[in-house]
Amino acid sequence: MSAMRVDAKVVMLGKESVGKTSLVERYVHHRFLVGPYQNTIGAAFVAKPIQVGEKVITLGIWDTAGSERYEAMSRIYYRGARAAIVCYDLTDSSSFQRARFWVKELQNCEEFCKIYLCGTKNDLIMADRSVRQIDYHDAQDFAEEIGARHFETSSKTGSNVDELFQAIAEDYNDTAFQYMTEDTGVDLGQRKDSYFYSCCHNN
Amino acid sequence: MDGEGQRATVAWETGTLAPVDRLRTERADSPTPGLVEGTEPGAGGKSAMFVHAQSFEDLTAEAEEEALRGAELDKSEEDCTEELKALEEQHNNDFSSDGRAKEEDVSSEAWRSHRKHVFVLSEAGKPIYTRYGTEEALSSTMGVMMALVSFVEAEKNIIRSIHADGCKVVFLTKSPLVLVGVSRTCQSDRELLRELQYIYYQIVSLLTLTQLNHIFQHKQNYDLRRLLAGSEYLTDNLLRRLDRDPGLLLSAVTCLPLASSARDVVSSSLQAAKAKSLVFSILLAGDRLVTLVRKKDQVLHHMDLHLVFNLVGSSSSFREGEGWTPICLPKFNTAGFFHAHISYLEPASELCLILVSTDREDFFNMSDCKRRFLERLSKRSAYQTLKDALKCPSYSVAQVGIPELRHFLYKSKSSGLYTSPEFPVVYESDEEQERLMGLYQDLHSCLHHPTRPLRSFYRCSETENLLAWVTSGFELYLCFSPLATKALAVSAVNKLLKWIRKEEDRLFILSPLTY
Ligand SMILES: Nc1nc2c(ncn2[C@@H]2O[C@H](COP(=O)(O)OP(=O)(O)OP(=O)(O)O)[C@@H](O)[C@H]2O)c(=O)[nH]1
Ligand SMILES: [Mg+2]
Repeated sequence: MSAMRVDAKVVMLGKESVGKTSLVERYVHHRFLVGPYQNTIGAAFVAKPIQVGEKVITLGIWDTAGSERYEAMSRIYYRGARAAIVCYDLTDSSSFQRARFWVKELQNCEEFCKIYLCGTKNDLIMADRSVRQIDYHDAQDFAEEIGARHFETSSKTGSNVDELFQAIAEDYNDTAFQYMTEDTGVDLGQRKDSYFYSCCHNN
Repeated sequence: MDGEGQRATVAWETGTLAPVDRLRTERADSPTPGLVEGTEPGAGGKSAMFVHAQSFEDLTAEAEEEALRGAELDKSEEDCTEELKALEEQHNNDFSSDGRAKEEDVSSEAWRSHRKHVFVLSEAGKPIYTRYGTEEALSSTMGVMMALVSFVEAEKNIIRSIHADGCKVVFLTKSPLVLVGVSRTCQSDRELLRELQYIYYQIVSLLTLTQLNHIFQHKQNYDLRRLLAGSEYLTDNLLRRLDRDPGLLLSAVTCLPLASSARDVVSSSLQAAKAKSLVFSILLAGDRLVTLVRKKDQVLHHMDLHLVFNLVGSSSSFREGEGWTPICLPKFNTAGFFHAHISYLEPASELCLILVSTDREDFFNMSDCKRRFLERLSKRSAYQTLKDALKCPSYSVAQVGIPELRHFLYKSKSSGLYTSPEFPVVYESDEEQERLMGLYQDLHSCLHHPTRPLRSFYRCSETENLLAWVTSGFELYLCFSPLATKALAVSAVNKLLKWIRKEEDRLFILSPLTY
């Protein structure tokens, strides 16, 4: 146990049961839990260090509950986030509608939060193409339109999961470096922390 | 403590189950094992952790007042029998259309024969929850239930219960919700009402009453299942607990047996890890309390604590990382949310720490409190003692050394804590445990009868002999083998109280702390 020192806040958003928790579980613990689906209550936080070039960046990942019950509360989870993984289930078109909702919400409230659009449960598509409800290109077009990066992942097989988080860490690293050299006064939720962290490491 | 116990025998050998009011004495020089509230074995110090005097009566009073206002119940009950028939027929006519997990054909005999059904609906008659089957399949049944409630209300009455055909139907109207219990058990209306209240508070704890009212004021026809989606299993689990957990029956909480020196270290480590917004720090081992530290002047209601137990115990979602969730503690305040930091001390550990904060922005502060607590605790040997205590079974009734005694429940009223041994082999199976709980429930009903409460009660049966006894200080339920006699049972009380007094340091939290 050590004190939490987080560089970049990452928030998982999306309709319930799209697979947010599974994605975190796969990335952090390299496993896929089978068994009855347990919806997240409120939100869960986990810090995960990740190697980017020479550096180690700690992602503070907020896995939020998809239930509408917590919608009014969601700001506390995404505020100041540097990256948002907006998830939708490739086999459930209603979950894509919900993803659009979250994108709008982020665009309105968190202009510095980079969006990663993530289609989940790709293994189901691999097993049976007919279950796909969200066309790859439609999602890709939407991602371009909103300036987001787009991934299709499977937490079951692990496909594309590490790539997703690696991209987040690298993007963060690039922009953080930019901010440090420019030293602008942009108000970013985690700015103080990241500076503090960088100082500790450089000295 | 020993001396005390010895002197106690003098008073006890001669006395039977006589009223004990005249035995009022201070704990310090009590000649008896404190029969008066505050001096009984397990009584906490001056500052109890829980809302004081939350007796069973306090809990149900609210519901009963409501019922009383609705006088002339008999008449309404008569009027209702027709409706009840309709309701039963309705069950036959409802068909479940889709095939989700909870699927059970609501027209089947199996569905009808469940021992206890619970339904929650809105005042507009919209289904919100059913214990068995799906809400959709039952929407017309719930409509009939609501029609019943409003039919009676129109006459300025309140419907309380209907008895028919070995089946009790109990209604609890808690605007904007209506709760209905249908039971084939022999529990009293009162017990059933109390269970419905628990379910009501379970829902409030997820949404707050303020939000509930707000929603239904704006849209009477709102489908609350939208907001409760994914929480059904919490209610399912709570109902299971109500059948099985003595704590819910006794309105009390049980502690992990632990050497008081170790518990004190754990408590003071928690006490030291404080923060401005922190109201309660609770350390659980499964369903048992290890310790609870609270803000001065703030007390927790055991019902709220049971809701927290249920939340934590029902979900593996807190297993990974650190949970941060809004939670309303309805007995504390139905209007607002607290924010709970929930995490296990170690990945596979049973030890779960819950830090209840008033500030939803305070996650990292709470996280830091946990870190400080762990840091402090893990340096001390008490942590190992605690972990060892988790490994061994709590205690067996044989340790008490009373022949023919199989099991017991003992609740100290002033501390709101209870203790009971492991179930012996005879009650190893789930069915047997539930049957024993049913027997305890019966005894509990007798002791807490609204008009004719009993102080003590002895009952023989083919399978076991039971003795229940209540004083102003404690409640005690004993289960003996059928070989035991009444005389033996009565003398066992004394012996057991002495044993609990001797062990109270370990079984109870005698000196609860505040920040
Ligand atoms: N086949 C397959 N199933 C998945 C995958 N990811 C998640 N699931 C399943 O989808 C269900 C929901 O997964 P969760 O990760 O709990 O969903 P969530 O988004 O966290 O849901 P909430 O916490 O309620 O918001 C579970 O039954 C998972 O096993 C995947 O990549 N492939
Ligand atoms: Mg989840």
